[in-house]
Amino acid sequence: MSDPTAFDLAGCLQRVRQRDQSAARELVDELYPLVIRIVRAHLPRHVAEEDLSQEIFMKMFTRLEQYQGAVPFSHWVSRIAVTTCIDHLRAQKRRPEFRWADLSEDEAAVLDAVLTSESDQAPDDALAARELVNKLLGQLNPADRLVLQLLDLEQKTVAEIRALTGWNSSLIKVRAFRARRKLQKLFKELQRKEHS
Amino acid sequence: MNPTDRRHPWSRLVAAARAAPDDRDPAAPFGFATRVAALALSAPPRPSFSLVFERLSLRALGVACLLMLACVAVSYPAIARTSDDEVTVRDPIAEVLELES
Repeated sequence: MSDPTAFDLAGCLQRVRQRDQSAARELVDELYPLVIRIVRAHLPRHVAEEDLSQEIFMKMFTRLEQYQGAVPFSHWVSRIAVTTCIDHLRAQKRRPEFRWADLSEDEAAVLDAVLTSESDQAPDDALAARELVNKLLGQLNPADRLVLQLLDLEQKTVAEIRALTGWNSSLIKVRAFRARRKLQKLFKELQRKEHS
Repeated sequence: MNPTDRRHPWSRLVAAARAAPDDRDPAAPFGFATRVAALALSAPPRPSFSLVFERLSLRALGVACLLMLACVAVSYPAIARTSDDEVTVRDPIAEVLELES
């Protein structure tokens, strides 16, 4: 038996195409958690998450006629969200330099722990680690940052990232390789500064 | 760099970051859906590519027909003057044949 509370996406899209405002509201409410998760994971500096989400939904409605159903609707919306976030990240021409002096006390302690300790124990302060990860990811170019965030932080598979971004597997792997190499270089530099 | 190597600083850092709780509300803020829906539907619908192509093709067809008619109209007097029994170009063989007849 089908779930009566299940969202009727096809019916809702049909009504939105007929310019039904209540259907458009239902669609936004239904997709908001998906969109906000992507926005929060890839939010550029100085951009409000609500403004970015609104921009994504506006793009979705404007391009709705182009949706042919070749991919699931959620994937189609995810791609719009991802490309909009990348565009905003690209618009930030300068990436802030990563410096010890700019880190909070907790972030510096976490960084010190991961750089000096050889054990496979993860540092305790998860929130500081999350902040630090965001700052390090901010050193990468937007597309590389996105791939590493999805692969390492959200633990998505290459196939899932392919569905989310529309990029092919080789491109995703190359971007991940390039991003990790840059981070490795950054860690070595930080270690050198720590010892000197 | 092996991404699964827990001894590497990046691997340990992301492992710790993953443990950070995200207690932010995933639901849309009050009035957000209403505002976005109203904004989206207040704009006129963007015509699809096929519709734009169809419209442009029809216009192009109309312009092509007009051009064709204009060309025929301009060159009609010249075409009308040219008949089979009239030699319009200097053709020596035709002239000889005309003299013999």
